[in-house]
Order: sequence, then C-alpha cells, then structure tokens
Amino acid sequence: MKRSWLPLVLMTALIIALGAYADAHSSAFLSKENLSSLLLASMPLIIVSMGQAVALLVGGFDVSVAALMTFCVVLASFTLTPTTSGFALVTGSLALIGVGIATGLFNAILIHVVRLPSIVATLGTLSILEGASLWLRSYPQGAINTNVTNALTKSVSGWLPIAFIVVVVVAALADGWLYRSRSGLALRAVGLDERSSRRLGMPTGRTIILAFVVCSVMASIAGFYLAAEVQVGSPIIGNQALESIAAAVLGGASLAGGRGSFFGTMLAAFFLTEIDNVLPFFQQPTEYAEIAIGALILLALVLYQAPELIARFRSSRQSIDAVEAPAT
Amino acid sequence: MSNPGPVTPDVLSVRGLSKAFGAVQALRDVSIDCRAGEIHALVGENGSGKSTLLGIASGVLAADDGTVEIGGSRLPHHSPAAARRLGLGIAYQDYSHVLELSVAENLYLAAPADARPAYGHMQTWAEETLAAFKLDIAVRALTASLPLAERQMLEVAKALLTRPKVLLLDEPTTALGPEAVERLHTLVLEQVREGVGIVYVSHRLPEVLAVANRVTVLRDGVWQGTFEAASVTEDELVVLMIGRPLTVAFPERHEASDHAEVVLTVTGLQGERFGPVDLVVRKGEILGIAGAEGNGQVPFLRALAGAEPAIGSASCDGAKLDTRSPAGPLRAGVVLLSGDRRGEALFPVLSVRANATIQVLRRLQRFGVVLHGRERRAIGGLVERLRVRMASEEQPVQSLSGGNQQKVSLIRPFLRGDVKVILAEEPTQGVDVGARFDIYEALRAKADEGIAAVVKSSDPLELAGLCDRVVVMSRGRIVEEIPRDELGERRIVEAIVGSRTRGTATAGEEEGAGA
Repeated sequence: MKRSWLPLVLMTALIIALGAYADAHSSAFLSKENLSSLLLASMPLIIVSMGQAVALLVGGFDVSVAALMTFCVVLASFTLTPTTSGFALVTGSLALIGVGIATGLFNAILIHVVRLPSIVATLGTLSILEGASLWLRSYPQGAINTNVTNALTKSVSGWLPIAFIVVVVVAALADGWLYRSRSGLALRAVGLDERSSRRLGMPTGRTIILAFVVCSVMASIAGFYLAAEVQVGSPIIGNQALESIAAAVLGGASLAGGRGSFFGTMLAAFFLTEIDNVLPFFQQPTEYAEIAIGALILLALVLYQAPELIARFRSSRQSIDAVEAPAT
Repeated sequence: MSNPGPVTPDVLSVRGLSKAFGAVQALRDVSIDCRAGEIHALVGENGSGKSTLLGIASGVLAADDGTVEIGGSRLPHHSPAAARRLGLGIAYQDYSHVLELSVAENLYLAAPADARPAYGHMQTWAEETLAAFKLDIAVRALTASLPLAERQMLEVAKALLTRPKVLLLDEPTTALGPEAVERLHTLVLEQVREGVGIVYVSHRLPEVLAVANRVTVLRDGVWQGTFEAASVTEDELVVLMIGRPLTVAFPERHEASDHAEVVLTVTGLQGERFGPVDLVVRKGEILGIAGAEGNGQVPFLRALAGAEPAIGSASCDGAKLDTRSPAGPLRAGVVLLSGDRRGEALFPVLSVRANATIQVLRRLQRFGVVLHGRERRAIGGLVERLRVRMASEEQPVQSLSGGNQQKVSLIRPFLRGDVKVILAEEPTQGVDVGARFDIYEALRAKADEGIAAVVKSSDPLELAGLCDRVVVMSRGRIVEEIPRDELGERRIVEAIVGSRTRGTATAGEEEGAGA
C-alpha cells in the first residue's frame, strides 16, 4: 500500500522542485503564456501515457502508439480540413477514433490470438502506420480545422486548459476504480498471473484485448491534441512511444504487469514535458534533457525498489532475532 | 427421458473421454462418475492420465472425444468459467493463486458474483470466510508469503466458495504434513455431509483410502476399474496401477560405520526461517530430515546450497563452504535437488537430454563442441533406470508429466563425477510407486560410493526405510536425532508430534516470562 504512494509523492516533488528552480532562473516560467503552453504541450503525452499504463497493467507494451498518433494527425488533415463543418466534423473525428479501435484490435489479435510478444507485434504495427502516414502525406501538408483544435484547447482564466482538468479528474477516478473495485482488482490479477486468473473463471482474453483497444483509443485521442499543436498534416511527428512507457513506469507501473497508477502516470508525463519546457530558460542544449530523463527513470526505479529491499533486510534481521531470543 | 434410477444423482459424469498430446495418448475412452455426497478417489501412476481427466472435466482442456456432464447439464465447450457456472469447483495441484495479491484479494476474486460482498467489506468478509472453514490464515498477508501447506488449504477454500456440486482435488496433500492432511480431510468430509461430490486424485494410497467411498484406477490413460473402497486393498490397487505386484522395498543398508570420515560439517548455520543448526554427515551416510511442514527444513537445505542467505558456517571435506551463492557449494561438490522442480531445477523448453547434461557439458565435448552421441550414452542408462516416460530424449521437458519431469531433474547429480554431498528436497514427491525404489536405489548406490546425502522428506516411511539416521526439525532447529537402530515410521511420527508439543510449551513459557 505504502509503495503505491511513492511514485505520486516523488513525481509531485520533482515537478515542484524543477518548477521552483526554473522560476528562480526566469520569471517567464510562471507567466500565464508559458504555463498555458506547458499544460497544452503536456496533453498528448499525458493521454497516450495513461493508455500505455493500461497495456502495461495487463503485462504488455504498445510501441505503436506514437505512429498511431502521427497517423491520426495526418488523417485529421483529410477529415477535419478548415472547410469541414457541421456533421462532417463528427464523422471526421469518429474516423480518428475508429482508426484507434481498429489498430487496438489488430494489436490485440496479434498478441492474444497469434501469441506474438507485444513488443514485437506493436513494432510491426508501428512500421505499417508510419508507412501509411507517409503514403498519405509525403511532407507536412494540409491544414487542420481550427474550430476543432480551439474547442479542444479551451482554457479557463487564460492559462488552465479545461482538458487538463478533465484528464486530472479522469486519472484520479481511474485509480479509484483500479484499486477500489472488483473489476479493477480483476484487471490487475490478469496482469499479475494470467493463468491463475483464467482458472478462476475470469475473462482473461477479453480483458487483454480490451486493454490494447483502450491503449490505442487513448493514443488516437492524444492524436487530436498533437494535431492541435502542429495544426498541419505532418507525417514525421510524434516519437512518444518510449516516453509514454517511461511515464507509466515513473508513475508506478511494473513492466511485469499488474501494477500501475493513472494519476502517477499523469504526473510523470507532465514532469517529462516540464523538462522539455524549462530547458530554454537555462539555455541548455536538449541532449541534457535526454540524459536527465534516462537518469531519472533509473533513479526512480531504484527508489521504488528500495522499500522492498529494506523490508527484506528488516524481516531477515527480525526473524534471526526471534530465533536467537529463546536461547538468551 | 425419465430417470427412476439412483437416489443419489451423479454430480459429475464423464463419458468416453479421449485425449492425445502429440504422439502420446493421454486418455483412451475413459468414463467415470461421481455421486452427490461421495468421495471418489482417482489413482494412478504419473502420466496415467489423472491430470488430463481433471483438466477436461474442469474445462481447461478440450477433449478429442467424449462428454462432460456437471450436475446433470452437459458442458457445452471447454471453458473453466462455464464449468464453474455448472457447479464444478477445482483445487489445482499447482494452485490458482495470484501470488502478488493478498489472501483476501485472492478469495475475493475466487468468489462468484452472488457470494461477493461490497469491495470495501472484503477484509472482514475474508476473515469470516476463512473462520467458517476453520482456517487460521492472515487475510492481509501476501499469498506469496504463505507456506505451501497454507496455500493448499486456501486453494481448497477458494474452490468451495463457488458452492460447487462437485469438487475436484488434484493431489491436495503433496505439500501437507500428516497433521495438515487431517485438517484437510475434516474440511472435505464436512462438504461431503452437505452433499458435495468429491473427486480426489492422489498418489498417497493410505491417505486417500482412509476417506474414499469408491476408487477408480487409471493406467496409461486406460480405465482399470472402479471399486468400493472398503472391498479393495492397497496391494490390489498397486497391482492395477503398475500392472505388477510390488512391495514397498528399500535398498539394503550396509553396516553403518560411525567412524567413517566426516564430509559435511555445519556449525551454527542460521537464516531467516531456521537455525542455528549444527550437524555432521559422514561419508556413505544418508541423513534424513523430518518435521512438520514449514519448520525450516527447506530453507536450511537451500541455505546450505547457497540458494538462501544465512550466517554461520559449513564446511565440506574440511574446506569452508562459500554459501553466498549457489556457485560456491557447487564447486565444492554440494548439489541441491530443489523441490521446486519446474521453477528452479529445470529449463522447461529444453529437451530431456539438454536438461540432464547441462552441468556436465564440459565432459561431453570435444574441441569445444558438445557431442550428442556422448550425451545420449551418458544419460541412456539413467533414463531407463528411472523409467522416464517420454517419446524421445529430444522432447522438451515441459511436455512430460510432473513426475517424469522430476525424474529428469534427478538424473543431473548422478551424471556428475565430483559430487560429495547431495541435498535432496522431497526426491520422490509426485513420483510413481514403481519408480520410487529406483530413486532410493540410485541414492543408496551413490552413498555406497562414498558420497553423503541429506534427504528432506515429508514421508516418514520413506525416511525410515531409506536413511541411516534421521534428525527432526521444529521451529527451525534440530530437536531430536533418531539413530539407525531406532528408525521406524512410528518413531519418526512420534518425534514430529512430540517436538511440536514441546515447541508450543516453550512458546508458552516465553510469554509467561514476558508478562
């Protein structure tokens, strides 16, 4: 129980520490303009990472999410053009979600029915989607409907996007569901031990398929926010697959499945975006950001292991004491 | 269709089941039934098809041919969920626990929708549920932290949560000591009185005969007959199981010499769940370790082999053992046969040949290339002697039955020339009656060559027959040593029971002193 709080505490502390450091360097960091752009820039990664967390919970990976996000942006430049209006906007948006569902089912079939390892299966999907994006748009071209993107990025008091509030609430509710409900427990059980779950009569196949579909749908929603950011049908954006896995793991997910936190993932994704955001204030080149991300992931993983290591050490001390006690 | 027939209806009825795994015919046209309120024992050697039969009845495996009826309704397709809905509960031999979740969470997941309380009431509900089954298990504990005996009882409790009409028990006593077997049987008999039918699979004949109403024997996937338990003797069943009469025999012990050279010395060894332990084992001696389950026998052996952290010291042939990792003891010639064969001792996807020879490849190579011919010659005799049932030596170990996997793991130490001490954890667990003697004989032959063996077993008869000397462990310590001329099944059981009562008394005194 205690262990599951650690990622939340650590991520919050890091976000505040980095923010305070940046603020000390430049008052521009806490300006409305910068906060607004930071929060909006974090949206694609937060959403895709929360989807990634679902895949990790059932013990899988999905590296195709980045290519799917890019494909959705490219697709939006066809289905959500500046001249699209009325009902066509709805069908145009549903096309993106539909691609997400289809990709999720495709991945799920490769993984659960054909029994390919998820990392290999989704790598194939990634390649297919990348090719499809380049086939539709060989270079950035085709503006995306600003009515849609403006609606998605609407803010209150000039800096706080409504979508960000929604994401925070959804993450909190999702964690409540994951750790305080029977179906949440069942999802974790499938991730921890698929065979035992199946023996207990749980619909393990359905759970795993659904998890990958949710992951892909989240990626296509993230695609909307990526589209809002780039505004044009670009086939060469979105390389957030590894970052989304990093965010989920920093947020408390286990690569072995069955563990994770949506709120933690949200915080970690925000933190990773914050790193990118503050670097210009220090005039540091971005390679430092890459190194920092890598080092932080390792540091966090070591810290997450620490309670277990300490507990193991303590329990062995205690029981040795207990055995010794009668002799004295 | 009218049915004027039996007063007690069949709660499980399988008809004409056949199932093949590749070239091996695991079941051939087998039919059995189980009535409400009876215990129907299913016995047979390893690989006789018992587990396959349970797998099909519980919906995990699809049959090639035949039907399964549960509570009068036919199982439409193979699905554990469907079998559960029709009223079938099963306690798997290797359990259905999610080890990283708590006991309460595991119970909660196992409960059907109508028996499940609100999520927030899980803890109290789990406590009440376990109390109703008279089980004293901490509900907040991680399932992984439970000793095997408690995991087994939890498995049975989980199966009963669905209020099954028929309960399948697959080798439920493998991990249990005599006292825990008693508790399990009490629990099972209570269910029987309430009209549940039990299919009880076991290789421990005396145990299963003590509670069964009827017995069915399988051999090589073929039905050998169903009998009233009262009208059949153990010997008759054994004949049917192995196809020839067999007396429980042990290899002859040679004149003990208390003056033989000491090969293994343990001084003050202690770890998380045992110790301090002092012990000497002489060349040519087989030392038995007895005790109720979970009293430190296994951690002690594992620590000695470097597989578990410990303090204190041990030496082999005068040289100090480096027990910080398994490499030290191995170099010194101390070999552990882990009881967790699938988890620790074997590489499931590798072939029988590769598994048997993996530690001695250096000897079987020429110019750095391993010669398969040499490998096959090396293991051929042992495969035959231990009667490993397989289609070929190139078969992956995971495709063998549990008992045969066990035999493969036993081949390994016998291939090594440099072994001085064999530490064996339940060497015959899950091994069929016929092959047990082969294992005993192989161990004794090694002892006669001058190596020492330490055998941990939960079967007192086995210890009495095989060993030169037996020590009894309780609460992590050696509490009694039984010399050779006093060895007997009864003497060992008495020592185990006696040691337990003494242990409790000590605990009581401590509390008194503390208060």
